[in-house]
Order: sequence, then structure tokens, then C-alpha cells
Amino acid sequence: MMIQYSIEELHQLLQLNDFDSKMYYDELFQEAEFQQKKLNAFVTITKEKAYKDLKKADFISLLSGIPYVLKDNYNTKGIRTTASSLMLEDYIPIYNAHVVDLLNQQGSCLIGKSSMDELAMGGTNQSALTGIVYNPWDRTRIAGGSSGGSAALVASGVVPFALGSDTGDSIRKPAGYCGVVGFKPTWGRISRYGLIPYASSLDHVGAFTRNVRDMAIVIETLAGHDEKDMTSSIREVPHYLENLNDNIKGLKIGVLKSISDEIIDIEVKENFDSIICKLQGLGAVVEDITMPSNLMKAILPTYTIIANAEATSNHACLDGIKYGNRQDGETIDEIILHSRTHGFSHYIKRRFILGNLALATENQERMFKKAQKVRRLIVEELNRIYEDYDVILTPNGRGIAPKVNEIVNNYLYDDHVILESHLCLANLAGLPALSLPSGFVDGMPISVHLMGRIFEEQTVFNVAYALENILDFKNQYSREG
Amino acid sequence: MNFEQIIGLEVHCELKTNSKMFSASPVTFGKEPNTMINEIDMAMPGILPVLNKRAVEYAIRVCYALHMDIDELLRFDRKNYYYSDLPKGFQITQEQFPIGKNGYLDIVVDGKTKRIEIERLHMEEDTAKQFHYDSYSLIDYNRSGIPLIEIVTKPAIRSGAEASAYLEKLRQVFLYTDVSDAKMEEGSMRCDINISIRPLGSQKFGTRTEIKNLNSISHVQQAIEFESLRQEKIILDGGKVLQETRRFDEKRKETVAMRIKENVANYKYYPEPNILPIRLNHQWVMDIKERLPIMAEQREKIYIDKYGLSQSEAHRLISYKELSDFYEETVKNCSRYKIACHLLLGEVLGYLNKKNISLEETKLTPHYLSEIIEYIDEEMISSKQAKEVLECVMTEGKKPQCIIEEKGMKQISDVDILTQLIDQILDNNEKSIRDFSSGKDRAIGFLVGQVMKETKGQANPKITNQLLLKLLKERVQ
Repeated sequence: MMIQYSIEELHQLLQLNDFDSKMYYDELFQEAEFQQKKLNAFVTITKEKAYKDLKKADFISLLSGIPYVLKDNYNTKGIRTTASSLMLEDYIPIYNAHVVDLLNQQGSCLIGKSSMDELAMGGTNQSALTGIVYNPWDRTRIAGGSSGGSAALVASGVVPFALGSDTGDSIRKPAGYCGVVGFKPTWGRISRYGLIPYASSLDHVGAFTRNVRDMAIVIETLAGHDEKDMTSSIREVPHYLENLNDNIKGLKIGVLKSISDEIIDIEVKENFDSIICKLQGLGAVVEDITMPSNLMKAILPTYTIIANAEATSNHACLDGIKYGNRQDGETIDEIILHSRTHGFSHYIKRRFILGNLALATENQERMFKKAQKVRRLIVEELNRIYEDYDVILTPNGRGIAPKVNEIVNNYLYDDHVILESHLCLANLAGLPALSLPSGFVDGMPISVHLMGRIFEEQTVFNVAYALENILDFKNQYSREG
Repeated sequence: MNFEQIIGLEVHCELKTNSKMFSASPVTFGKEPNTMINEIDMAMPGILPVLNKRAVEYAIRVCYALHMDIDELLRFDRKNYYYSDLPKGFQITQEQFPIGKNGYLDIVVDGKTKRIEIERLHMEEDTAKQFHYDSYSLIDYNRSGIPLIEIVTKPAIRSGAEASAYLEKLRQVFLYTDVSDAKMEEGSMRCDINISIRPLGSQKFGTRTEIKNLNSISHVQQAIEFESLRQEKIILDGGKVLQETRRFDEKRKETVAMRIKENVANYKYYPEPNILPIRLNHQWVMDIKERLPIMAEQREKIYIDKYGLSQSEAHRLISYKELSDFYEETVKNCSRYKIACHLLLGEVLGYLNKKNISLEETKLTPHYLSEIIEYIDEEMISSKQAKEVLECVMTEGKKPQCIIEEKGMKQISDVDILTQLIDQILDNNEKSIRDFSSGKDRAIGFLVGQVMKETKGQANPKITNQLLLKLLKERVQ
């Protein structure tokens, strides 16, 4: 079996004269189809296009000829893009997302579009039109969401990298469940043009890889200003790969006790403590920090209100008039009503109702505007912490991936909601954040979460790189069943 | 009981920028439906807005022309509602922080000047155009996303005539700031009316109705007249005016109810997350002010005070911006302000009306016009000939000099040539000399006629007259 290579390994192979790239892709698609039966992670496999792209690839740049997967909320010209929603079941975009253009320019080969929670709203991938995505390490468990398909396909070794999107934790949570590296950079670092949105002020383009160096390569390629996205930064993009440095002596790392104290699973706790020791061993200054508990409690409601409020208007374009699954009606209002009633799952409609409620004139002051104010307070609090610390360390959620039959609809009301939901701090503040595999519990991977200052992606990469080098999980993938 | 009309106007104006408010597709009119669009205009999932800098510049121009305070921190909001002509399901507008606030426009009605206060000017994007048929509707997205400015007055207007004067003046502002064609009949300028009435002297406002989408200034006036009478009748009959949206039926010249506004629409405005607040460069804003074209009012004043035109001449010139622009260009090269004005308002306008074309469609340029005026000045051609030349230039586009030469119009002003010619004529007309000496002035006219006949009208009349008189006197002595 030739697959499971990292980007750098594969790049070296592709440059060899006697390496048969066609045969590599033949095997890759065999494996992809095999894994699809097991994991249900693809929405579409784009075999034909991949071979076409491969023919054009010159293998000169690091990503040339490298196979990858896109979450199905990235617009791909001429390739069905469903966002895992019935509403967009037959939607074929007329344009490419900016990052897709960038990867095309590099000569990367798209091999498929991956399953996700409907419109990226969710953390379990259970709301996907094509059904649940199974965890490569244990098929009785979920891959997580919303970028579940991408996470599973990197974790099973099919592709060395995949793009996801992250609005609350949608890359980092499934990355943790699947034992791969998941990262989203600073808000504005990568153009969102062509990413079907969830909540614009919280949405991030990001990726899954099986090691930190590969992540540096992918993010360096995608980052930079795009004139089609006014919120994309004009700051120069550093050479993340070249600058990667595992010497983190003297770096100040704050352990957010308000989160880590909530860990109940003893093995998760032990793992987390061992990571702290390892960081100290690497010469980092690791200290406990806290955030006011009322602010911690406000994270989820704040996030929920802002995310759903923005989502409700972001998805107002899905009305069945110009595209989307149109249902009949006597009037225009009826067509829109019927199309939207038919096209969205119950779960999505619930979120839209919540978003509308928060924005309604009579509620806006005490809901949406209040959430905006609290968001500001949270950001200010984080900024205070970053005056003294370079990186904030937390566990990457509660623990291992839940069983498929364990997930319940109202998991939002979980007792350990703060532990489970705090990853969206990085979205509220637009911070670069990475989840790094840190161990196994019951044979399932767990991760830690690193969050840096805005535009300091490099620091986050360096800490992750240093840790990765002394842990045993670099390039790991699952060969279960 | 006498009633007073309380009227506020909301005017939408499409800006004639090259591209749309938030997308790079072109701003066009009358092109084949759905050919001038991209993914942004159709609100394909995943698109993002990019603000058109030129549209901001245009908005600022109008703000200055309307004497408004400019907010240099640009902020945009989403206005959320579902409608088939609104592809995104929301419109990007400036609800909370309009770019312009607190302006005014002075209007003249019945010889009296009145200041109409303007509350706000904000930028937004146009919707798609819909065509409704019996069993189906068609949508043209070419219009979707065209930059709009909306200008809202305070409820300061008191009659249809005032509304009409305000709209005329506002239209002139759009034209003179060069931001729009402002053609109401084509929809690049649209007007909504808010109107209520109250007993004269009352301070309380009555219930207002809104009349949507008027497409000519005269319709606005007619709608206001009808609507205020309708409301008056309801009140006098002891009824209640309903708060509703109405439209104007052009054939019946009546307003017709469209929908009742039971509760104020909940647009759930909130800040547009994909456009962060933009701090405009103060110098850039100042430069726009600096480069602002001279407005109609100021031009009128200059024409009267500096160029010595009459009030009515000045007014006629500024009533068409292209005419006024043409005039300004012409008098840059020639200081015969009055002649230039007379030729433009007389010959040129007459020609345009006769042919039903615009000034741009003729071959006449300000340079040609000043050239013609120069020839008149130098007495190279007569003013009668000038008119002929002018018409030729407008139709054929040849240089005036060529036309004059081709037609052999050049005046003979050479004293030697004329002296020789007059001497000859006098030799052949002994009788006229005798008539002259016996005091019959008529003889001069006859002799001039003879000169003109010989020269095919090219003899300079002034010099001919002078010479003839001199030579006659010599012979009589």
C-alpha cells in the first residue's frame, strides 16, 4: 500500500523519475472507495477531474500533484456542492472558492468533496444529507463535525490534507476525535470567498493534516489577501514552514484552569497533565491562568446568538428562487416558504428561528446586541491574558469521540458544556488555534488545544511542532477493520 | 376646515459607476436580461461583497451638493427580508450610520425661496428587476447590485408644487454632480412619497400613507394632489386614514391601496459582518469636495453677474447640463458671452428640437462654436451666414473654416478691391449719383445692393457702406 504519505514525503516521491503517479492515484481511489464504504465520508468522489489535474501537474511546488479533499461547503466550479443540505442537493456552482483557485494554481488534485453537518451547523456530522460519518478508529463512534468527512479522510490515510471550515470548533473537534492535526488561522488570514458561510464573523477556512509541517505548508499556500474578500488581511504571509522551530524555550504558555479543571475523565486529565510536563521539559514557562466564571458561562450563549443570527441571513439566499431545491407555491412567498420548509432539516430550522428571535427589533437589544457586547468583553479578557502569555493551552474538548448511538439532539445542554464548547473562544476572538493529537483513551485519540495571538500562527505551529516531535502521534492514521 | 399637507420624499438614485456596488459586473441599462451578471449579483452561496470606491465618491459628491455632514467612518448594515427580487435575502444598506446627514436644498415656488431640510443620504444596492405575467414572473438580475443612494427629506414639503420643485432641483444635483442619468422614466431616479394631512394650525401629525415608485415628477405632483384630497374626504366624512402602502395608477390618476402596514416591518437590521467599518482618508474626501463641479445655482449666478446674461437666458442655459457644460467650454476660448448664449439658445436649440436629438449627437464642438463667433467678430462672415455655417457644422461636422471657404462665404473687406468695384459701379450709375446729390438717401441702399450683387453678398457691409459714402461725396463735390 503506497498511500498514507505526508505532503513532503509524497512530494519527494512525485519528483522521482521512476515513480508512477498514475498508479499511485489508482491505488488511492481504490482506497478511497474502500474507505467510503466504511466511513461514509465522501459526498462526491471526483476521480475524473483528479486524473485530469494530475496530468497537468509538474510536481515542482510542494503541493503539486498532491491529492486532497474539500469539505462540501467550498464552491467548486462544475462540481456539485451540497453543503450536505437537501436544499443544495443539485447545486453546481459557476465559480471556485478563492482557496480552490489557489490549490489549482499549485497543481493540487482534488479527489473528492467531503460530508459535513448540514450547512456546517453542528458538531456531530449527524445532520449531513448523506448520513453520519464514522470514526476511522472505531466505526461505532462518530467522526465529529461539522467537518467530519474531511477529518475522517485524513485520519484514515486517504489524503495527506483536507480543507475544513471552522465556525465554533468545526475543524478542531473532529480533528481531536479522529487523531489528526486540525488548524484554523486568524480571522482574515485566509480569504473566505466561495466558502458557503455559516456565520461570517466566526467562519474560518482551515485544514486537517497528519503533521504540523504539512499544516504549515497548506496554510502558507492559502493565506494572504484576496481582493474578493474585504476582510482578508493585507499583512504579508510569513514562511511558516521555513520558520518552523521546535525550540520553545522561554515561551509563556497559559493553562486555562477554568477549562482544564472541568475534565472529569481521569485518563484525559492525566494526559493533559503529561502534556504540561512535556512543555515544561521543552523549556516553556507554563502557568495557570483563569477567566472570570461569569464570562466562561457566557461563552456558549454569546456564540449561539451571534452564530445563529448571522446564519439566518447568510442562508436567506437559499430560497428556491434562483437555485436550490424549489417547491411549488401559489405566490412567491409560498414558493420561498415551501422551499425552505422542505429544504432544511429540523435542526437547521430551529437554529434559524433562534437567530431570527435574537435579531427581531423587540429582542435585539437584550439578545443580539448584548451578545456583541459580551463578545467584546471576552476578547478584551483574552487580550489581557495575551499580554503575559504567548499561547493558551486547554484540552481539546471533553474527551474521545462519542458512540453513534450516544449522541442526542440537545447535547448543547450537556452538564460539561464549558469544557465541550470553549473552543469557540478562538472564533469569537478570531485567534489562530490548533488541535494536536496528544494520546489515546480506550483506543481512541484525544488532543490538546493551542490558541495563539492574532496573526501569530507561527508561535502556535512552533509549540505544536515541538510537542509533536516528542510525542508518538506524528503521521498517525487508522487502519481499523 | 382647511388642511395642510405634510410630505416627505424618499428618492432612490442609481449611480452611473462602471461596476456594481459590491461586485465587478458592469452597470448597464437596457441590455439583454441576465447577461451582465456574475455569481455575486445572483447571490450564489459563498459570495462576499467588495465595496465600490467610485460609488462612495459619487455619494460624497451628492452629500456636498446637498450641504450634508459626512460620516467618514463608513458602516454598512444588513436589511433582512425575503423577496424574489432580492437575491441575497438581505440588502446591504446603511441603516444606522448613513454617509450623509442634515442637509438641505433651496427651492423656488411662486417666486419664493424655501429651504427643504434633508435628513439623510445613504448608500445601498438595487434589487433585481421583475416582470410579472399572468401565470409566471421573470427576473432580470442585470439591475441587481447597481449602486443606489437614497435621499430622505424631513416631512418638510407642503404641496405637490413644492415636491415637484424639490425633485427638479434634486435631479439637477444628480446631473451636475455627474453621478447619474437621473431618468425617472427609466427608473434611474425613483421617488416614494410619505404623505399625511392635518388641520391648518395643528401640531399633531396625521396618519400617513406611503405611495411607492413614482416614475415621473408630474406623477408625483398628481399623486400628492389626489392623495391629499382622498385623505381630506375620509377625515371630513368622519373616517380614519389607514396606514398603508399605495401605488399611483397612471391611467386613472389615482392612488390605489397595495398593502396595509399593520405592524412596521421587522427588517432585523444588524451590522454587515463582511464589511468591517472603513475609515475614509480625510484628504481623499476633501479632494472630492475640491473637484466638485460647479452646481447649477452657482452657474446661473456667474452667467448673470459675470457674463451679463439675462435671468431668463441664464436659467434656460442651466436647465440642461449638457447645454451649460457646452456653453462653459465655449466661453473658455471666447469672451463673446452673449453671442455664444444667443447662438446656443437660438440656432442650436432650435436645430436640436427640430431634429429631436441631443447636443452630443451633433458634430458641433465648443471649439467650432467659438471659432464661428470669432469669424463674426472679425467680420469675416455676417451673423446670417454664421447661422448657415452653424447648421452645416451640426449636420456635416466639417470645420467652420472649410465650410466658409467651400461656400465662398468669406467677406471681402479689402479696401482696394472694394474701392475698385465701387468706382466701377458708380461709373455705370450716373443717375444714382445725381439722386444722392439731390438728397435722396435711397440711392445708397440701391448702390450697396449693386455691390452685394457683384460680390455675391461677400462684400463686408460695414466697409462697403463707409467706402461708398466717401466715394460718392468725392464725386458730388
